[in-house]
Amino acid sequence: MAWKTIDRNEPVVDAGATPVLTEAIRGKIESFFPRYPTKRAVLLPALHVIQDALGFIGWQAMKEVADLLEIHPSAVFDTISFYTHFWTKPRGEKVVTVCRSISCELLGGREVLEAVKDHLGIGEHETTGDGKYSIAVEECLAGCDHGPCLLVNERMHKCVKAADVPALLADAGNADHGLPRSDLFDGPVVDDDRDDGVIASTSDVVEMQDSN
Amino acid sequence: MAKITIDNQEIECRDGIPVLQAALEAGWDVPHYCYHPGLSVVASCRLCLMEMQLPHPKTREMGWAPKLFPSCQTPVKDGMVVRFDSGAVEQNQKACMEYFLLNHPLDCPVCDQAGECHLQDYSYKFGESESRMHDQKQVNPKKDIGPQTLLYSDRCVMCTRCVRFAEEVSGTEELCIVNRGGRAEIDIFPGIPLDNPMQGNVVDVCPVGALLDKDFLFKKRVWFLESGDSVCPGCSTGCAIRVDQSDNRVQRLKPRYNPGVNEWWMCDEGRFGWKYVHDVERVTRPRLRRGAEMETPAWESLGEIVRYRFEQQVDRHGAAKVAVLLSPMMACEEAWLLAKFVRELAPDATIATGFVPMVGEERCFPVGCNADDAKFVIRREKCPNGRGVELVAEHFGGSTCDFDGFVTKAGEGAFEAVWVVGGYSEEWVPKALATSLAKIEMLVVQDMFESALTGEAELVLPACAWVERDGSFVNHAGLIQPFERAINVPDGARRDGQYLFGLAGFEGLYSGARVRALMAEEMDAFREIAEAPRQPAHQH
Repeated sequence: MAWKTIDRNEPVVDAGATPVLTEAIRGKIESFFPRYPTKRAVLLPALHVIQDALGFIGWQAMKEVADLLEIHPSAVFDTISFYTHFWTKPRGEKVVTVCRSISCELLGGREVLEAVKDHLGIGEHETTGDGKYSIAVEECLAGCDHGPCLLVNERMHKCVKAADVPALLADAGNADHGLPRSDLFDGPVVDDDRDDGVIASTSDVVEMQDSN
Repeated sequence: MAKITIDNQEIECRDGIPVLQAALEAGWDVPHYCYHPGLSVVASCRLCLMEMQLPHPKTREMGWAPKLFPSCQTPVKDGMVVRFDSGAVEQNQKACMEYFLLNHPLDCPVCDQAGECHLQDYSYKFGESESRMHDQKQVNPKKDIGPQTLLYSDRCVMCTRCVRFAEEVSGTEELCIVNRGGRAEIDIFPGIPLDNPMQGNVVDVCPVGALLDKDFLFKKRVWFLESGDSVCPGCSTGCAIRVDQSDNRVQRLKPRYNPGVNEWWMCDEGRFGWKYVHDVERVTRPRLRRGAEMETPAWESLGEIVRYRFEQQVDRHGAAKVAVLLSPMMACEEAWLLAKFVRELAPDATIATGFVPMVGEERCFPVGCNADDAKFVIRREKCPNGRGVELVAEHFGGSTCDFDGFVTKAGEGAFEAVWVVGGYSEEWVPKALATSLAKIEMLVVQDMFESALTGEAELVLPACAWVERDGSFVNHAGLIQPFERAINVPDGARRDGQYLFGLAGFEGLYSGARVRALMAEEMDAFREIAEAPRQPAHQH
């Protein structure tokens, strides 16, 4: 070939590898089936379940969820890559999400992003060697009036200056939310009937079952 | 029929079709990328936007609506008034083209699509000569996505036709869109390549040079290609195709729109199945046995020799001992000429229809659908003209039989003079037939490759490939479709039709149309033939 061409035909999933989706994860995904007209429609909740359980959705997990939902793995890849929320590689304990949209950009967002990259020594959507931090970029963090913004996990830092970045990242409490989580947060529910602590369902599934 | 007004001209069009389709059919060259009549409508490229008259919300007076509408997504309605020649429409086309060219590498000099590229054509028509983009271009990678196909995503305009094709027509879903917005690109799941029997069509539906056929890659600039309208001989579906050739060599095959038969598609089996045409092992010269010697007779004297030797056989063994095996690889015209010749010499001669290769099962697409809902079928009958030769045999009547019957009869020693026609790309002669025909007095073999029969033959005649001939094939459904000659016959050979024309007692040059006219006098079926409609530029 005259140019450098990426070979996409090389398999990334080993056919004989042990499954990464545990029975618990599968069971939880299957519990969503009755709520949707097709198995394909369960893809988004399934991806949330997997990312909550594994931290990220790798190639093997994509292939397995595709088999479970009876869709082509390319459809899973398509959906995952659309949403920046989903991680295809292991994610650090703390994810620094920097806004790259116009307000933050005008107020120096690009310099902040560069400062974060320099400080952690990694690029966008990468994780530090010690697994502590990952960097993500988002289109908007809904803090345009206080740009540049960045998130550390779910904690918003506003009016960040590039010079503040080292101190901000050195602060152990930089991801503290400060506020209690809302009751509306759909946290996992442990099945009382089981003693192994396996996640049985989510609160809204329980709610739906109760109302029936 | 709905009547709509486009640019102050009233046109009639089919009901319910998109305005874009109506405009294209009526001769407007409306730019578009994402619209393809064979795929679902996504209206994502925004290039085909038009102005439309709508009633004013208060006064109900008809006037031009302030916004533009995608003509691909707006169905025609009787009395509709639209326009493409307004400033707003042109401005949109210019703006869209600027956007499509933002990250384009402009590598036309090394791009296979150059010369038949919609990006080039529209850019020439609506684009600017200079780019206002001063930032770094977003360069997407070039990817190998399958055994036959490359994806140069730097050239891609994200029309998603290929993705929709894989979903809706082939039903194999290998392709997907990864990432989002300006970073979006077409991709596959790594390790699950684009590899299905219909995949070649994604290269055809790609309006730019993003999807490339490895088979044709860097082979020829398309403006050096000359085309012949043909019919694929790969199976009994009878897809209308275009044979693109240069320097008398086939370069590639492309499907032609043929409603009700292959629509816009063709399968890879047909698309890449022409390589045997340029095989050096082909029989290209006639070969005549004189005593123990084989010699190459002059074409001019051949007619007389064949006629004389056949007459001798008829005199010696009687007309019933003569048989002809018409191959389903022949055109109807050739079969008719040969049958006519044989029946004139020997009125009781047997007319047999030849070997019909059957491979596997019928394959329907989208995969998993049943035969009634299929958008495309690859048939198990791997020859183009099974029905055609049957029609000819039926027309001549008398003693006729199928291939199995012929093999049995030949085994019983029913024939002494036999003309066998092959023309298959692969070995086809059953052992039993070779053994029984080796014993007879006179065997004429008209075939493309040497076989067990050509060694035993008194006369071997070259059968030409379908791209070197013209005539017509009758497909599985009984549709008679003509095909044109695209390249010349190999040195030394002569078109089958030409020498059969002479043998059957006609003078001058053979042409499919000429023989069809003669056939139509005897056979009603040949009065009307089905030709795929001609398509204007930029229509698919």
